[in-house]
Order: sequence, then C-alpha cells, then structure tokens
Amino acid sequence: MRQKRSEIYSVELSGTKDIVRTDQGDDKEKYRGLKNNCLERKKKNQEEDFQKELQLDDHKLNNRELEKKYGTNIIMGLSSTRAAELLARDGPNSLTPPKQTPEIVKFLKQMVGGFSILLWVGAFLCWIAYGIQYSSDKSASLNNVYLGSVLVLVVILTGVFAYYQEAKSTNIMSSFNKMIPQQALVIRDSEKKTIPAEQLVVGDIVEVKGGDQIPADIRVLSSQGCRVDNSSLTGESEPQPRSSEFTHENPLETKNICFYSTTCLEGTVTGMVINTGDRTIIGHIASLASGVGNEKTPIAIEIEHFVHIVAGVAVSIGILFFIIAVSMKYRVLDSLIFLIGIIVANVPEGLLGTVTVTLSLTAKRMAKKNCLVKNLEAVETLGSTSIICSDKTGTLTQNRMTVAHLWFDNQIFVADTSEDHSNQVFDQSSSTWASLSKIITLCNRAEFKPGQENVPIMKKAVIGDASETALLKFSEVILGDVMEIRKRNRKVVEIPFNSTNKFQLSIHETDDPHDKRFLMVMKGAPERILEKCSTIMINGEEHPLDKSTAKTFHTAYMELGGLGERVLGFCHLYLPADEFPETYSFDIDAMNFPTSNLCFVGLLSMIDPPRSTVPDAVTKCRSAGIKVIMVTGDHPITAKAIAKSVGIISANSETVEDIAHRLNIPVEQVNQRDAKAAIVTGMELKDMSLEQLDEILANYQEIVFARTSPQQKLIIVEGCQRQDAVVAVTGDGVNDSPALKKADIGIAMGIAGSDAAKNAADMVLLDDNFASIVTGVEEGRLIFDNLKKTIAYTLTKNIAELCPFLIYIIAGLPLPIGTITILFIDLGTDIIPSIALAYEKAESDIMNRKPRHKKKDRLVNKPLAVYSYLHIGLMQALGAFLVYFTVYAQEGFLPHTLINLRVEWENDNVNDLEDHYGQEWTRYQREYLEWTGYTAFFVGILVQQIADLIIRKTRRNSIFQQGLFRNKVIWVGIASQIIIGLILSYGLGSVTALNFTMLRAQYWFVAVPHAILIWVYDEVRKLFIRLYPGSWWDKNMYY
Amino acid sequence: MTKNEKKSLNQCLAEWKLFIYNPTTGEFLGRTAKSWGLILLFYLVFYGFLAALFSFTMWVMLQTLNDEVPKYRDQIPSPGLMVFPKPVTALEYTFSVSDPTSYAGYIADLKKFLKPYTLEEQKNLTTCPDGALFEQKGPVYVACQFPLLLLQACSGMSDPDFGYSKGKPCILVKMNRIIGLKPEGVPRIDCVLKNEDQTNITTYPHNGMIDLKYFPYYGKKLHVGYLQPLVAVQVTLAPSSAEKEVTVECKIDGSPNLKSQDDRDKFLGRVMFKITAHA
Repeated sequence: MRQKRSEIYSVELSGTKDIVRTDQGDDKEKYRGLKNNCLERKKKNQEEDFQKELQLDDHKLNNRELEKKYGTNIIMGLSSTRAAELLARDGPNSLTPPKQTPEIVKFLKQMVGGFSILLWVGAFLCWIAYGIQYSSDKSASLNNVYLGSVLVLVVILTGVFAYYQEAKSTNIMSSFNKMIPQQALVIRDSEKKTIPAEQLVVGDIVEVKGGDQIPADIRVLSSQGCRVDNSSLTGESEPQPRSSEFTHENPLETKNICFYSTTCLEGTVTGMVINTGDRTIIGHIASLASGVGNEKTPIAIEIEHFVHIVAGVAVSIGILFFIIAVSMKYRVLDSLIFLIGIIVANVPEGLLGTVTVTLSLTAKRMAKKNCLVKNLEAVETLGSTSIICSDKTGTLTQNRMTVAHLWFDNQIFVADTSEDHSNQVFDQSSSTWASLSKIITLCNRAEFKPGQENVPIMKKAVIGDASETALLKFSEVILGDVMEIRKRNRKVVEIPFNSTNKFQLSIHETDDPHDKRFLMVMKGAPERILEKCSTIMINGEEHPLDKSTAKTFHTAYMELGGLGERVLGFCHLYLPADEFPETYSFDIDAMNFPTSNLCFVGLLSMIDPPRSTVPDAVTKCRSAGIKVIMVTGDHPITAKAIAKSVGIISANSETVEDIAHRLNIPVEQVNQRDAKAAIVTGMELKDMSLEQLDEILANYQEIVFARTSPQQKLIIVEGCQRQDAVVAVTGDGVNDSPALKKADIGIAMGIAGSDAAKNAADMVLLDDNFASIVTGVEEGRLIFDNLKKTIAYTLTKNIAELCPFLIYIIAGLPLPIGTITILFIDLGTDIIPSIALAYEKAESDIMNRKPRHKKKDRLVNKPLAVYSYLHIGLMQALGAFLVYFTVYAQEGFLPHTLINLRVEWENDNVNDLEDHYGQEWTRYQREYLEWTGYTAFFVGILVQQIADLIIRKTRRNSIFQQGLFRNKVIWVGIASQIIIGLILSYGLGSVTALNFTMLRAQYWFVAVPHAILIWVYDEVRKLFIRLYPGSWWDKNMYY
Repeated sequence: MTKNEKKSLNQCLAEWKLFIYNPTTGEFLGRTAKSWGLILLFYLVFYGFLAALFSFTMWVMLQTLNDEVPKYRDQIPSPGLMVFPKPVTALEYTFSVSDPTSYAGYIADLKKFLKPYTLEEQKNLTTCPDGALFEQKGPVYVACQFPLLLLQACSGMSDPDFGYSKGKPCILVKMNRIIGLKPEGVPRIDCVLKNEDQTNITTYPHNGMIDLKYFPYYGKKLHVGYLQPLVAVQVTLAPSSAEKEVTVECKIDGSPNLKSQDDRDKFLGRVMFKITAHA
C-alpha cells in the first residue's frame, strides 16, 4: 500500500484511475458476495435471470446494440403500449418492501410468550376443575370459572399492552418511510413526459438533472458535467463523474452507468433504463439485507433465561406439591386447585409488562438524546455492546469536504474543521494569503442557493461539487460576502475543470479601478499546477521556483496527502495590460493567453473531517471497554487518517506497516504482536480464512477495515459475533444495510441515512452523531442494572405468595392468601414501584467498567434468585404470616387451633365451628375471617415490599450513599402502593368478589418490625460486600 | 453464535455429569465440600435466627391476647343457627319410618348431643331467674340449668326414638355461642314449612322461646359447664304411606339485634333443612 499512497492522493477532482487500481481485487468479491447470497436463496429457475443481471454488460455495448437489446429507440423512446407490456411483465420499478410479520402473528406471539403459557395452563386447569366439580355437583361454585377467566384476562391484557408498546415504537419508524413519490422525466412516443418513477420499464429513455435521484439503473447515453453521489452504495464520499464512455470492466466502476437511488448532484444525464425495481444493484443489496436473519437481542435472551428459571421453579414446586398433596390423600381435584394456586403465586404476572414499560421509558429518554429506538429491546443491547463497527462517512465524519490545511509561505497552516468553522486562527496577515484567498474565491463556480440569508454559512445549500463547496464556504467564513467579491472582480472567461486538463482556470477584471490588468487564476492537481509555474509567491513576493522550493513543495504535498487529504494547488498570473488590453477577447478554444510561467501561490487540502464530538466519544467507548472498529468502503489512507484523528487508532499505536516503515525493514519481518493497530483492506480480507479474520479481531485492539463490500461488512460483523461480542453496527448507506441487520444492534443515521439503512436498523441516531451512541450505551447499561433490581424486587414477594399455599397443603391452615389477592399484588400494588426502580441512578460510574459478558453476566443469576427467594422472600413470608396469625388469634383462632383445621373450616355444612374461646362460627363468618386473613397477609406483604423496594435501590452501596430521596419516583411508587392498598381494603372492602375486607388500622403495623429487619439485613449484606470484595460473602450475596 | 448453541445430547449429558460430580475440582453440584459446608452452615445459622425471631414475634403477639375473651368479636356480631342431629351431607334428613336402622344414626347423634343436658350433668348448675339476662361479675361464673323437660316430646325421655319411629322426627335447633351476646326483646325460634302441606310443626319449649337467662355467655374458660338453650322442632308428617318430603326453615324472631336476614350467610339467625321420610 505504501507506494501507492502518494499517487492516490495526487488524484484530481475527477480522478478515478487510482481508485480503480487499488480496487481491482475486490470488485469481483463484491459481486461474488451478491451472487452467492442471492443464489442461495433463490430457486433454480430464477438462477439464469440472476446470472444475466449480474454479468451486466450493458456498459460495454454501444448505443445501437443497446437499442437492439432493449427494443427501444434512443430518440423516440419506447411506445406507450410497449412500456405497458413491459410494466406488466417486470412489475413496477420499486423495491419490494421487506416481508413484515403479519400483525396478527405479532399479537399472538405476545399472547403465548413468556409466562402467558403458564397462565393459560392455570386457566385451563381452573376450568377443568370446575368441569369435574360440575359433573359431580351441579351447584358447584363458580369460583374456579372466575379465576380461570381472570387469568385469561390477565394474559390478554398484558399481551395487548406489550403489543401496543411494541406497535408504538414501530410506528415512530413508519414516519420515516413516507417518501414523496418520485417522478421521472421519460421519453415515450417521441414525447417528453413526467411519469411516476414506479412506472419506468427497461428500455425507457430518461433524463435526470442535478439534484434528482436516479430513478433506476441507467446506462448513460449522454451527459453534461454530470456527477453522482454514490456514497450510499459504495461509501465513497467523493462525487463520481458520469459520461457515456465505457471506462471499466466492472459495472460498479464504469462511468457510464448510474445506479438506482443514488443522486445526481449536478449536470444532466440522459440514459436508458437497464434494470428496474428489485433487479437493480440496490435491489440486490436490499434482498441481501432481508436474507439476513434477525438475531435475538441480548435482553430477549436474558428475559427468556429468567422466564425459564421462574417457570422451572413454578412448575417443579407445583408438581412436587401436587404429588405431595395426592399422597397426603387430598382429592386430585383439590390438588389440581393447589397446583393452580402455586403457579399463580410463582409467576410474576406484572413483570413482563413492567419490563416493557421500563424499556420504553428508557427509549423515550434516549429519543430525547437523539437515539430513536425502533425495537424496544435494543435499548439494552446498546448497553451490552462490546464492539462497535462504525461506518466512516457521515457517522464519524461530517460528510462534507472541508478545508483542513493550507500551505503557503513554506508553512503548513491548520484550518478549523469543526462543524461551524468559527475559529480560523491561522496567520492571515501575509500578503500571500491575500492572493491565495483571491484565487480561492474567484476560481470557483460554486454558488449559494438563493434565499438562505438567515441560514448559518456552514448549513447553506450550495450548487456545486463537494470541493468547490468546501472552498466557497471556507472563503465565505473568512472573507465575508464572496458573491460580492466575485461581482467586483468580474469574470471574463473561464475554463471549467475537466479530466484531461485537470485544472480549472478563469480570467477576471481586478477590483482595483487603477489596475487595468486581467487576473488569471487557476487551481488543480498540485503537480500539474506546479508544472505551469515558474515563480512562487513567498511573503507576497514572487521568487523564482528553484529545486529547493520545489522540494519544500513536494514535502508539504506528501505530508498533506499522507493525512488522507485531497490537495489542490493554486496559482495566478496578472496578464500584462499592454498585451491584454481591456478590450482583449479571450478565446478558450484557441487559448490565446498564457498558461505557463505562472506564479505558484499555495496549496490547500481538504478532507471530510471528523465530527468534533467523535474523538471524545471514542475515548469514552474505550474506557467503557468497547472496541471501536472502523469499517468503510473508503480508501485505506483516508480511513487511517480519520481513524487516527478520532482516536480509533490511538496516537501511539502503530500498524505493522508503520513499524516496517520506521525500522526500514520489509513488512514480513515485523513481529505481528508489536503492532496494536491493523488496517485491513477488502482485498486482503477476501483472501483471508475465517480463522485469520478471527485472529485479527482477537489480537488487535484497533482495527480499520477499508474498501470493504457489503458482503464483507457482513463477514466482519459475523467474525465479531464469533468472539461472543455484542456487536453494534453504524451505517447510513444501502451498502450497510445487510450488516445493520446482522448486527446485534444496527444503528442508522437519521439525517444522512438511506431508507434501506433505517429499515434494517434497530436504532436511528437523529443527529447522525456518533457521540449519541455513548449516551445510548450509558442508558443501556443503566437499564440492565435497574432491570436486575426490578426483577429482584418482583421475585421476592413470590415466595411470600407461595408459602401460604405450601403451608395450607402441609399444615392444613385456613388459606392465608387467595389467588385473586395475589393478582392484586402482582398487577396492582407492585407495578408502579417496580417501574420506579427504572429511574434509579447508577451506583457507580457505569461507563468505566467492561461491557457485560453475554454468557456470564446474566440478568438473573443464581445469587439474585437465591437472595430474593430464600433470604428476603422468606423473611417477608414470615412477616406476612405474623400478620395473618395475629388477625386470626385476636378474633379467637389461636395459631395452634388452626393446624389441620382446613377440612372442617372449608366444610359448608359445618356452621358451628368452635374457636379457642368456645364461640361458634358459621361458614360465612369463617369465610369472612378468611378474607380478612387474605387482606392481612396482603398488607403484610405490602408493608414489607416497601422495605424491599428501598433496599433494591442499590446492590452494593448503602442506601444512604445512594440517597434515600434522590429518586422521587420511588416515593411515588411507595405512595401508590399504600394508596392502592387502602383503596382495596377500605374502598372495595365491601365487594365480596375481590375478597378484601376492612382491616383494623393497627394490623398495618404488625409487619413493620419485619420490614425494618429486611432493611437492616440488606444493609449488613451490602456492608460486608463493600468491606470484603471477592470474599465468599461477595460471591454468594452480590447479585 | 447461533451455530454453537445447539449442543448434542451427549455433550449435554456429559455436562450434567460434570455438574453433579466434577472429579477434578471435587465439586458436587457445582460446589466443593467446603463450600457446601459453609453454605449449609450459613443457612443453618440464618434460618435458626429467623425461626427464633419468628417465634419471638409470635410470642409477643400472643402476649397481647386475653386467655378468657378474644380481643375482637366484630366478625361474629350475630349468631348462626345449627341443627342436630348433624346430617352427613348437606342439611337433609332421610329415613324410613319402618326401618329403625335408617334413623339409628340420628338418634345416636341426638343422644350424644343431649348428654350434657342430662339431670346428672346439670346437678351442679344454678337455677337462674327466668326472663332476664343473667349478667355476672365474676370471678366465678355459674351456668344456668336447661331442664331437658322443656323439650317435652323431643327430650328423648318419653320417647327414646325422638319421634322418628312415628313419623314425627325431632330436630334440635341451636343458636351459636357468642361471647357477650345479649339478645334484646323476646327471642324465639320460629319454624315454618316451605311447602304448604298437611304436615304440621311443633316447637318446644312452647313457641320456640329462648330464655334470656342463658345470656350473656362468658367463654369456655370462665363459663364452665355452660349449656346453650335449645329449641326442638317436631315435624309431624302425614301418616300416608307415600314418600314425604318437607323443607323447614327456622329463624330467630322477636329480637331486634339478632339478624336473620343476610343475603350471603344462609345460616345467620336461620337454618333450613329438608326431611325426607319413606313409609
């Protein structure tokens, strides 16, 4: 690569030759990738079609052959009837939208996903139980039917809720898809007509002018100064010229083909449509993207893991106790009802809904920070990201050419490349600068579009190519009103840039009324400009151009070129007034004016500069343990320069090539381990085995992939995923969409991004700013931590809900808590508090730790389950039982009298059950007392859940370190818990179906000591964790 | 990552085996012996502590209780009614006049229930003044006599078969005991037939009266030997040979503070039972 470097960047504005040279190898790869993938998926009968299209040879044909091939006429176009026939045959000229999962399928998935299936089982068991009861006793109570219906209702409601949340976030995206229907100017029946681009068919003759999108793949027939922006297809940010000449074997590189969905920046072009719709190059890439399966998001995997744990516990306890109950001579029917109770108690019905809400809250928060999340689960994915494969153009860079360096007076000056250009500090006092600035201003055809007086200069739209735009804005910022300067220096004549001359020239009157000379200004490829010069301006004075000055010129030129910048040379000449009087008529064809022995003024280099926020963001990613890899379609040298300037390759790390260069030894002799950074081109990648790629990905900390094809991006992403990394891919072009889809999280650019990219992505950066990703990572990590807390909080009370059933079966106590009451906790009092935990601030700097290992750092791990179930859960159960026993004891049933009372207690015919004091109770009186017991148990859990909520605020730090009142939402949660509890007990206490009664006020305080105990115990746990990190305690108690 | 996820069955088994016992690290179920020891010790201590704590709090709670009177009686403001003999399923009495074995169970149950009411059992009880609440100040509480004779034909004294053999079965109706309950007015048990028929119904004591002297009740511990007042209902089934089925509903009447109308509690101050007699 080294030898080529100088050549590549001596390329003029239009130079493609060098690109071709570096690129020859991977062209085939690009195609191979496309072809293989397509062929794999398509059926055999379509194979021929594909090969024909892929071996596109239309660029090689001349006009006559083309006319013959497509049965059209270049002058008259197709006939309408023929066009209609073709339209019927080929279908409309639009991309088939990716297959959407039908809404009903999405909905049904929500209905059976997660715990729903357990609840369905519960519901059916209820109905079966009723069926059995009914068959033996026609007056069987309908309780089981109600319970079954309630369970189904819960499933449906949570399903609908999750579906709604999902749909809401999807809807945000659909707004992106609204596109103004594109029009195309087409010649048909010898007439120019404007028709919707969708109706274009193969063989149509279309005219496209600057600013339009290319409506289909077209073969250029004639063009005037046409340049297209192929960046969405290839990632090159430089505009590519288009003409009718056949310049390259490869259809992607040849100048006479324009591609569907790219933009014609300037000039006009007339061409023949050669491919429409899905058969276009873009269509192939899009189908490549849709062929890539969607990976499950890490959080989905975690939640599945969690559901498995909970369901496993529920089912095994349920079955265990079913067996115990049957062997204890309970009726099978009763055992079945116990089983339902156990399932309901064990399943945190509200949790999945809570998770969805939590995620969407974070999604909202992220949207405010310009990260729009399309797929809710992607919120967390970003947090566990360990590798970011970032596209260069537009993501890391500003996606516009900007003046970066100047060279005059034998010195290199640095220009401000930040987004607003405001801080140009280089020395502007030299008179060389005055001359240079005049050339920059005058030798430039770019103009601001009218009517943008109030738009900041850098945001103004410009007619002209990228380099000229850069120069125009640069001079406008420094010199003020460029158009005014141009007016004062009236342009007499000009030679626009062309690829043979490789320079641009114009002749102006000077703005000095006493100076009657004409000023000739010229810019172009530096070496070509230098050839034409005999003098060089230093400090405003002309000096003869000798060998030493030529050498300094070359050094500067190489240096700027080595920075990956596009360098332009500037020179001028004052035409002597005697030879060229005011009336002299210049003739550009005859060239009746000198174009040699000019005065060289300076060099100016441009680059698509990195966004100013990116280096900082990259550093943050680094410290957060995230590897940032650049994957670009651009040239290695530009890629490396940008990588260095944003810190993807850090200042002190070297590539193998750098080391070889420094030590002056061949690349082969360099110890691979010495290099920290690697730059891999698509060409090299093509020859690599997967193992070699894995090795590179594993061994180098800093990697840049350049000149990569869409297929190769996919290979790189897969390579990263083989390292067990969670991969984020950023990109904006169509060429990125397969990789975006393949990535664990695809991030598309909101402004520059193509629709294909946005469609394939999980997240859209509204401000196209890489730095927003860092915010996203932070939010994602926080949500993971907070979800842990939410789940721990929610799981705890499941034990307190489960124990009653176990005790009921084993010890025969009157049932301490009913199934409906459990549902009121799970879906009532506990919901807002568990959401409130999502607002908890991070305990420590989450951006200073490594990303979680997706197989080791689970959302729900053993310590979390054990601590929630067997420690806090059990304490909570004891506390709730205390309230329950208190209520029964104070009403006359002392604890010991309750044991094995179940059968008599529940017998409808026993209406004089004697309590400890000799009083006799009817069945209904007992039932009412049982409901009071439910309410008491409920209140017991509720009070302790408040303590549980408070302790869950932190996992390691003391609550007092975290601040008890910092998260206000927690207090809203606590208030909601109490209020809902009060309403249930005192407001709805009279509604029998709900099984709540009005509880004496003092029973609310019975469990308070237990609540305090929970708090103290957890503080002790955290204290030991902080005191003895890595100890047995830490390992077993930190979740 | 997806490719490696599907493990073969053998691998799975091997992993499980290794999990159950790992010879290299000496781990059993993922923990070494020492680790198991530690964790078991921890739970022993921890659960021991929890058990002690729970016992303690329960003990504290029990201290708040009074051994003689429950702390609250709000859940049973009004007594329920219950009948004897206790039927096996639901409140249905089925017997055949001609077959003594069909009602032997009922008679045995009645006799057992009336055992505390025999003269021997009652000889230590006080004769209380009729027609007024018998409030006592303690510390010794005495129980009032309930002469079985009040039940007349249903006392079992004159007719050891309690009328079952004659097609006139006796059913005893009892009001649930509630500590401190003081009925107002003149409480009586009023029994009616649901399906109007030629059968007639007699209640003993006369008019189903419940004397106020049996109230208030002071609890099992203080009020030793307390006998609750009974009312006997004798249903005289028509002596036809056909099968007879009658439904009787008994209600507390004449006392404003004893409820007998509750939508949900079918036994609060009332009781309904069915008698089916075969020839």
